[in-house]
Amino acid sequence: MKIESVAVIGAGVMGSGIAAQIANAGKKVLLLDIVPDGAENRNIISQSAIKKTLNVKPAALMHKRNAKNITAGNLEDNLNDLGDVDWIVEVIIEQLDLKQELYKKIDAVRKQNCIVSSNTSTLPLADLIAGLPKRFANNFLITHFFNPPRYMRLLEIVVGPDTRQESVNTLTHFCDHELGKGVVKCNDTPGFIANRIGAYWMQTALLEAMRLGLTVEEADSICGTPMGIPKTGVFGLLDLVGIDMMPHVLQSMIHSLPKTDAFHEQAVIPDIVNQMIADGYIGRKGKGGFYRLNKSNGKKVKESINLMTGEYSISEKATLESLKPPIAKDLRKLVSFEDKGGEFAWSVLSKTLRYSAELVPEIGNNIEAIDRAMKLGYNWKYGPFELIDKIGVDWFSNKLSNDEQTIPPLLLAAKGNPLYRFDEKKRQSLNLAGEYQTLQQEDDILILADIKRDQQPVKHNPSASLWDIGDGVLCLEFHSKMNSIDPDILSMINIAIEIIPNKYRALVLYNEAENYSVGANIGLALFAANVAAWPQIEAMVKSGQGTYKALKYAPFPVIGAPSGMALGGGCESLLHCDAIQAHAESYIGLVEVGVGLIPAWGGSKEMLTRWMINPKRAKGPMPAISKAFELISTATVSTSAAEAKSHLFIRPTDGITMNRDRLLFDAKNKALQLVDGYLPPEESEISLPGATARTALNLAVTHFVQSGKATEYDGIVADQLAMVLSGGDTDITDLHSEDDLSALERKAFVTLIKQAETIDRVQHTLETGKPLRN
Amino acid sequence: MATLKAPIEDIKYLINEFLDTSELSNIPIFSDMTADLTDVIFEEAGKISETLLFPLNRTGDEQGCSYHDGIVTTPDGFKEAYQEMTAAGWGNLICKPEYGGQGLPHYIANAVDEMLVSSNMSFTMYMGLTIGAYNAIDQFACDELKGKFLSNMVSGKWSGTMCLTEPQCGTDLGLIRTKAVPQADGSYSISGSKIFITAGEHDLTENILHLVLARTPDAPKGIKGISLFLVPKLNVNDDGTLGEPNRVFCSGIEHKMGINGSSTCSMEFENSKGFLVGDLNKGMKAMFIMMNSARLHVGIQGLAIAQASYCSAKNYAKERIQGRALTGSKYPDQAADPLIVHPDIRRMLMTMKAYTEGARALSIWLSYKLDVSHNADNKQHRQDADDLVSLLTPVFKSFLTEIGETVTSLGIQVYGGHGYIRENGMEQYLRDARISKIYEGANGIQALDLVGRKLPEHMGKFLRHFFHPLSNFLEQHSGDERLSVYIHPLAKSFSRLQQATLFIAQQGLSNPNEAGAAASDYLDMFGLVAIGYMWAKMAEQITRGTGEMADEFYDAKLKTGLFYMQRILPQTGSLLSNIMSGCTSTMSLSEEQF
Repeated sequence: MKIESVAVIGAGVMGSGIAAQIANAGKKVLLLDIVPDGAENRNIISQSAIKKTLNVKPAALMHKRNAKNITAGNLEDNLNDLGDVDWIVEVIIEQLDLKQELYKKIDAVRKQNCIVSSNTSTLPLADLIAGLPKRFANNFLITHFFNPPRYMRLLEIVVGPDTRQESVNTLTHFCDHELGKGVVKCNDTPGFIANRIGAYWMQTALLEAMRLGLTVEEADSICGTPMGIPKTGVFGLLDLVGIDMMPHVLQSMIHSLPKTDAFHEQAVIPDIVNQMIADGYIGRKGKGGFYRLNKSNGKKVKESINLMTGEYSISEKATLESLKPPIAKDLRKLVSFEDKGGEFAWSVLSKTLRYSAELVPEIGNNIEAIDRAMKLGYNWKYGPFELIDKIGVDWFSNKLSNDEQTIPPLLLAAKGNPLYRFDEKKRQSLNLAGEYQTLQQEDDILILADIKRDQQPVKHNPSASLWDIGDGVLCLEFHSKMNSIDPDILSMINIAIEIIPNKYRALVLYNEAENYSVGANIGLALFAANVAAWPQIEAMVKSGQGTYKALKYAPFPVIGAPSGMALGGGCESLLHCDAIQAHAESYIGLVEVGVGLIPAWGGSKEMLTRWMINPKRAKGPMPAISKAFELISTATVSTSAAEAKSHLFIRPTDGITMNRDRLLFDAKNKALQLVDGYLPPEESEISLPGATARTALNLAVTHFVQSGKATEYDGIVADQLAMVLSGGDTDITDLHSEDDLSALERKAFVTLIKQAETIDRVQHTLETGKPLRN
Repeated sequence: MATLKAPIEDIKYLINEFLDTSELSNIPIFSDMTADLTDVIFEEAGKISETLLFPLNRTGDEQGCSYHDGIVTTPDGFKEAYQEMTAAGWGNLICKPEYGGQGLPHYIANAVDEMLVSSNMSFTMYMGLTIGAYNAIDQFACDELKGKFLSNMVSGKWSGTMCLTEPQCGTDLGLIRTKAVPQADGSYSISGSKIFITAGEHDLTENILHLVLARTPDAPKGIKGISLFLVPKLNVNDDGTLGEPNRVFCSGIEHKMGINGSSTCSMEFENSKGFLVGDLNKGMKAMFIMMNSARLHVGIQGLAIAQASYCSAKNYAKERIQGRALTGSKYPDQAADPLIVHPDIRRMLMTMKAYTEGARALSIWLSYKLDVSHNADNKQHRQDADDLVSLLTPVFKSFLTEIGETVTSLGIQVYGGHGYIRENGMEQYLRDARISKIYEGANGIQALDLVGRKLPEHMGKFLRHFFHPLSNFLEQHSGDERLSVYIHPLAKSFSRLQQATLFIAQQGLSNPNEAGAAASDYLDMFGLVAIGYMWAKMAEQITRGTGEMADEFYDAKLKTGLFYMQRILPQTGSLLSNIMSGCTSTMSLSEEQF
């Protein structure tokens, strides 16, 4: 069975977010909600929800046109349409009777084997299906998405005793491959995995910070980066998710957990928090929360609340001794350090990790699934059990004993051994019986980190490595600072080009950093500019051009596989690949004008030729030139891989992978598909109109400069870009080879980097990470 | 006998013709600096150097300072000379008129400075230290302290010192132990020992104002817990009259290699009353201001002693007859030809002359940039000039003091055995010059400052203000046939300097030892190129033909410049090879292998 169409019932924030992600996967989705009393437009709720998905930040849709995949409807007129869909997701209010009533209606119209799932976060599956026919229960499960559904990778599913295995498999496959989620199977216990541990952790951190008298900044600094937790820490996170949801979560937990559960000890809402909620200080969506931006004096000032007095004052960076690098970078040192930061760290960590360990097997037998849920759902770098291994099972247990705390059974079963180990290259985890079990991995997943653990690189330098990923395919990994492209990376590309024809078959450009590459390393270019080393700068540009050109015409297929940002020189590396397999969350663009430069490693050239040969373009060279000019001169960055296709940063024929974990596998496959009978592309020649086109492009820019939307210097940079894209000093009868265009790129680049304004922009951006408008 | 003639012609040329002073020409004090006025200043300074200070140079060295029971006596004649010099205002050229100073620009004052130092380095140190202390107080102290102390410093009635070094700390000032305990009246009680204090005690002035680095009881550890205090030798009453002694004692003076007329004292502060200058724990900031002006002054010492040595050597080479010219006798009627006919003597004299005149051009040019950094209307221009001065200060201090040593050593060589004996005064120049490579931050430290601080600052921004104008200059004159003998060698060395800079910037990130091992060679390259730039600018300016000096003068300039381009500047080639070879050979021996 395959899922081709879906219905989402409930068009609130979560429902419309889920619908949008299904639309992003290219599936038709019907979004239904109730008909408000006396409404003229009976689809008003779902229609306005679709409208909102077009504007919500961060964007729920990967491409505006995906909104067309969502059809609005209502539960009265469109009930029968549910009979056409393969999967129905219920995302209505958390009220058992309403849900059950809905399920009865659904069951009456759904087609046989149509899967029904609930996005509940608080109600047990057993209660949801109570009293419903078995045929319904056979196809029912809980699918618990996290907000926002496009970006949060965790999907918890709960399977009932009657749920058919085929329904589980179908839905898991769909959510994994098509929606890109990390699916974690959970037991039917309150809060499932992530929120059970997550809420306990947040409450503990909140209460302990108050007990020990830490400022919110201090608490977030400790309960953040040092523990591998995002730097929003706990208070920043509460502001983000909404402080007003705390009472609801706690209420539901208190209600459903046995009295013996340690959660109850932490399920207290301090008076100050109640007061904040009452006053509307519920976080970022309200007037502010533990932090707020005070704009009263015309300037935005970040303030934070005093947890004792409830008064706001200017936020001050935490300066605890325990936060200094040698301590904060070593968990053992941190939790043993004798200041309130160390005490807080131990208190929060010991309680949270101990609680997590005690929840085995209640919430799950498999500790790896629990770790994965915390990593995907709360963006922790390490799951609780990985954290215990980092501290050391014995060390942690001893310290618990010193505190006269009982040791959870799992840790006793470990007998001092680590919770994870590698046995014959397979990762294994410990179970309650003290046995190691090999973690199964699907065949169609390839993780570079695993490969790196098992083998030595084929080649290595400080910024890049080549890895053998099997079947004759090499993977070129960037690992310079922010994956910026530097001479070492260029040299590694050249090495790959040299060795692959003899011993290998194809190359994949891929890495597992947050961003594929933020661009060329312009620090050295800035230094060279400061010492007026113009020939060296030209040589640097030429070397990049030469390397990328060699990549393009290499006698083997080259696949680019980006995820996250691929900007500037990073984007240019992709433009020279034979094909791209992009993660859906790829943010691609040529942003050089921001630092007063133009793309000169073939970026301008490739964008121009792509738009020139685009079969859909209008006649004559001007539309293509204008399009490339527009994209580059405004430093357009695609907000998804889908949008990158529209801009031709990647080709219409290129692949998109929804699940980050499957990217390398897909990219390798794509490479292998191209191997047989591979021929490098043929060099193209184009004719360009020269000065007239340059004048036309500049005319448009002049308008922006005059209206103040662009600075005068923006105009000068744009003119250099226009010079390149129009073919320089030429006329329409001349043919331009790629090398001619490269020469124009170099000329424009060197002209611009000689300007004080460009040098100032580069320096400012490198020093502050922000653009300079001069 | 050593002879001295102040280089007045050269200074006049540099100030009146070479230097482009247009940037500040709309600022009153600068527009006042007409040739009529400045020529008089230089002539007077030359006269007083030659007639008053120079005669005390040898005797001051022979006699030295003496110490008895806490009292330091300067050599005979110093006291009278000090009276005459300060009465005539030679000690306060750059001081503000509101305190009785003359408010002259640095490029004028520093040209005078060179002449004075050249005639008697030891003597001028008493006045120089006062100026350093004046700068720090003027810039950082509160109005009350300024009002109480500055005018007597400016008049020369009271002198100043800088008390940094302690027995356990020289370069690393983070180790300072001298204590400053806050008192109820807002003052501090200062206790501790300081060594190597120039002019710490002497008989030239009625009071001495010590600027002392010390730490308060609860100050942070290391360099961030150091504050600057003003501690007078004698307390000063509110009405400005002198009060009780302030328990500041001199416990002895050093016996040194050179600058024997300058007292180098060990000082003891025993609960002495001190006043905070600037902010608490921000002493190093004030110190750096003092050091920066002091470093330029030390660079000028190198130049000045080189000038003195050259002056004697060229005269000696013309008078002393030994051997015959290789191409046949030039003076057949004499028993032998003068030394100056011999190519190797020429080599030495030309080296001395080319270095000295080039360094003088750099001194006046950089001093003017310092004026621009303080006085330009446009904030950006001030900042740019400040960046440039910051960049070149370590180069100037180090390279000019290296020149001081090189030239004074050559000076001895020209004299042969007569240079090595004391009688002719040539060995004194080398001994006096030697300290300038050490104090105010040893030259190795300057090199580290250059590569470790000045280069990476804002990712090379400081460099821009030196490299871009020089690059533009080369580009502008690249096609000029008449200048090609200057432009081509300079362009070649400039590109070496660029290459070395990029190498250090790149390597220094991954291996700081690489930058550290390259630092001194790099600084020398920088100095060579900077002076090469000056020579090329002089050549370019002279070939414009608008000057009013004698043809003979320009002819000598162009030929000396050519010697620099052909025989000195190419050293950048070997320095680049040194740098590019990497640090391995420098660092690979184990400590035991030494």
